[in-house]
Amino acid sequence: MIGHSEKVWLLLIGLTLAGAVLGETGHAGWPLTLTVVLLIAIKGGVVIDHYMEMRRADRRFRNVLRLFVTLIPLLVILSHGWGEWIRKLTTIN
Amino acid sequence: MNGAYSESIPARRGDRADSTPPIPGNMGIWVGIFCVLVEFFLLFLVYFVARSHHPEAFTSGPDKLVTLAGTAITMFLLSSGYCMVKAVDAIRHGNRVVSTRWIVGAILLGFGYPLVKYFEIRWNVAHGIDGEAGIFYTVYYYLTLNHLVHVSWGLMGLIWIAFRTGLGVYTPDNHSGLEAAALYWHTTDVIWLVIFPFFYILR
Repeated sequence: MIGHSEKVWLLLIGLTLAGAVLGETGHAGWPLTLTVVLLIAIKGGVVIDHYMEMRRADRRFRNVLRLFVTLIPLLVILSHGWGEWIRKLTTIN
Repeated sequence: MNGAYSESIPARRGDRADSTPPIPGNMGIWVGIFCVLVEFFLLFLVYFVARSHHPEAFTSGPDKLVTLAGTAITMFLLSSGYCMVKAVDAIRHGNRVVSTRWIVGAILLGFGYPLVKYFEIRWNVAHGIDGEAGIFYTVYYYLTLNHLVHVSWGLMGLIWIAFRTGLGVYTPDNHSGLEAAALYWHTTDVIWLVIFPFFYILR
């Protein structure tokens, strides 16, 4: 019988393979970016909540970890849609 | 030192007399985990800045890397993490021998990472992809090798924990050291789950 941790492992492996197939298709643009953003947020969240058992832990600690896997996807969206703005912001004249 | 932080941290919910949610592991490992998260967050900022300045390099860069290598590393890390989940679960049920076996499994799977990395880098160099092949590959080597260093520390920690678990140091009531090692190991998972799409998938 497949237990909870086995289901979580299968989910993570399945999402990883889906991401790898996506990478091999050579697609680019917003659909790929948004898919990658979702994959990072979902897989990161699953590891934090189920592998690290933070779902039942002190919320402050969990929130810091969740913030990490939320901020990074937001930065991916920012860099894809507003890369020129980041470039100007980080250019030293 | 503040007394509240110096006291031992209960391993599980229910170990505390009050209703405060538990903090898994121990406070020392959380200092380390937060430092690692800040370190990699800053490194990821470097990635985003480099990407914004050289969008073409980051669009074509993943084409030359071996996606299979990145996928294999992800699978090794996630499977190793699964073994650590089982190891913690086993020690909570008082199964010291079973827990030790799961930790050894986590170590063996964990060593798949440096092994794949070794062959990946050999392949890269043979195809002219070294640290000077362009900005994308410079950032790729900088971030992935930095992560490999953290994984190496994690593997050393797991070996230490395997010995201690085998010797019977941990019990169902006192295994915060084992939990701490597992937490650090899972943190390297979380960081790799960001690195993998950055260099092998995103275009």
